[in-house]
Amino acid sequence: MAIAVFFVAAAMAVLGGIGVVAFHQPIRSVLSLVLVMLALSVLFLLLSAQFVFAVQIIVYAGAVMVLFLFVIALLGPARELGRGRLRFQTWLSALFVLVLLGLMWALLQGIQYRQPEKADPSWFGTVQSIAVGLFTTFLYPFELTSILLLVAAIGAIYLSRRHVDDL
Amino acid sequence: MSTLDIGGSHLDTSWFLLLSAILFTLGTVGVLIRRNPLVILISIELMLNAANLALVTFSRQLQNIDGQLFALMSMTVAAAEAVVGLAILVDIFRTRDAEDVDDLSELRG
Repeated sequence: MAIAVFFVAAAMAVLGGIGVVAFHQPIRSVLSLVLVMLALSVLFLLLSAQFVFAVQIIVYAGAVMVLFLFVIALLGPARELGRGRLRFQTWLSALFVLVLLGLMWALLQGIQYRQPEKADPSWFGTVQSIAVGLFTTFLYPFELTSILLLVAAIGAIYLSRRHVDDL
Repeated sequence: MSTLDIGGSHLDTSWFLLLSAILFTLGTVGVLIRRNPLVILISIELMLNAANLALVTFSRQLQNIDGQLFALMSMTVAAAEAVVGLAILVDIFRTRDAEDVDDLSELRG
């Protein structure tokens, strides 16, 4: 059962990833990315990461993607016309990407895992276990994250303000 | 190779990692060959998602919750990156008539 779920979700993710790259209209790329995120959230559930699953759907597939859709609605439907100035770019990048995939494949061949820790299956991945980790071991990174979000919000407001000389 | 016991069926850890590698590669392709800056940002999101999958997979394999916390942190960074990147994009498209990233080849304001 879990194997079938894995392969269906993996196929959806790969198809969505191809769609992100292949579609010429940005809105279709965004919707393909939503498909990838939903498929990945199913995989997170398989890997017993319930909290990450919920955050993936609510924050990522919900909020961040709606942000992208808003920007597309704001900028209008822009299509890519013709080819770029660098005509060899596609072939060169295909070569580099094949080398990258081969490198990661070679890494996966020689992988050796550490002995797993003895974790309670009913505790692993729950909201409680996430909270305990987040508020004890990773307290400082967690607090720094709030500063990061504040800086990002201020930066976005600064960038999107109306310029004084435009008025 | 190591297997994960999920609901009685055995899945290989390397399947998840291979899927993560494939998605990361697709994101790289998007960044390299697409010229619409919005699609480039979307491809970066795809790469971040692939990295998240690898983190959660290692977390499950080692039975250690830290990987999931890293994935949550990277989601936060991805959200901040999307917000600032899109704000820059909207500002660029508002001030100049640019078709794609090839038209933005100068840094002067």
